[in-house]
Amino acid sequence: MITTIGEIVRGDAAVFPPYLYEAYRSTLRRAPRLPLVEVPLTASELTRPRLDVSRVTADDADLTRNAGTGGEALGQRIIVTGRVMDEDGLPVPGALLEVWQANAAGRYIHKRDDWPGPLDPNFLGIGRCLTSDAGEYRFLTVRPGAYPWGNHENAWRPAHIHFSVLAPSWAQRLVTQMYFPDDPLLPLDPILNAVPEGARSRLVATYAHDVTEPHWALGWRWDIVLAGPRATAFETRERSAA
Amino acid sequence: MSALPVTPSQTVGPFFHDCLLRDDRCEAMVGDDGGAQIRVEGRVIDGDAAPVPDAVIEVWQAAGFARIGTDAEGRFSFATTRPNRVELDRGTMQAPHFSVAVFARGLMNHLLTRIYFEDDPATESDPILRLVPESRRPTLIARRAADRSLTPLYRFDIVLQGAGETVFFDFRSAAR
Repeated sequence: MITTIGEIVRGDAAVFPPYLYEAYRSTLRRAPRLPLVEVPLTASELTRPRLDVSRVTADDADLTRNAGTGGEALGQRIIVTGRVMDEDGLPVPGALLEVWQANAAGRYIHKRDDWPGPLDPNFLGIGRCLTSDAGEYRFLTVRPGAYPWGNHENAWRPAHIHFSVLAPSWAQRLVTQMYFPDDPLLPLDPILNAVPEGARSRLVATYAHDVTEPHWALGWRWDIVLAGPRATAFETRERSAA
Repeated sequence: MSALPVTPSQTVGPFFHDCLLRDDRCEAMVGDDGGAQIRVEGRVIDGDAAPVPDAVIEVWQAAGFARIGTDAEGRFSFATTRPNRVELDRGTMQAPHFSVAVFARGLMNHLLTRIYFEDDPATESDPILRLVPESRRPTLIARRAADRSLTPLYRFDIVLQGAGETVFFDFRSAAR
């Protein structure tokens, strides 16, 4: 595939996708064209604002039942688990993970998703949790389906789960997508392909039989490594202010 | 110790609303410290000067965090405590500002920018603002708008591309 690839990248260009990636049409009018201005990290980026996470409950991490209908979502039940770490391999505890995904048929509840895939009244496709002291997270959900989109002729997104990571440091903020390794659509997807080739596999989960629970759910493991420094330098002051 | 392989970013896509904007946590600045209130209004527009109706911006300051979605006209609005000065490093202060991240379909990684205030005397000498080419600094400065309410109102547009393109930042990293 021949596509124009822009030079403007935030972060390591061997890891992060460029803002302009022609094959993904939505980048054409939204990618900045002027160079990013490099600035040092300051207290603004390293101080953690107090987050209101008191309403995060254990039920929020169970997407198979959190629609509140009393019924269970249809589809292949899966456990998605892993660790959130910094580049030094240290766990990132207390990070807020928010996930959203299509249902097993590839349909989102979103009002703008109107392709004729069936909705599941027992599935919202929304979850959240906080990482443990060891940086671990765990979601119970159903495997999402692939879905069509309008980017190009006969375009289909591979099955994926969107992840938002709100870490203790603003500099570590990350929104990304997790994929499944046995998906034939992966090499056809311009959104995944916008990631430099050497880093693409980092977005693909690994089947984990030790996570799989007998007669219950298949296990997938996916670790998240956040770029950028953790909030060390200003930690003390943050605590004293809290 | 060798560094672990960093996880790349992906676009937030078009279907984030029910998850990222699902409750009032998104509307109100959390951690309100009881200081003076201000309101900031603006639009997110693309390279055709068309509104971006499916963006979400996150605003951070010492007092808290807020997440705001744009409407069909690309507009966003938030009310919060006026930010205080923040240390740059020992002995150097920054002008009051919000740190802002912009997410949208078509943005492969979130964009980072800042909102400063035109009527704050510290803005002109802010050490981060002074790293920005002078001609582009106005894109980072919110303008005081006339309004009848008691809460001061500021205007700040985010131009993703083209004429008046907003300055977006990258962090200078030790290991790059």
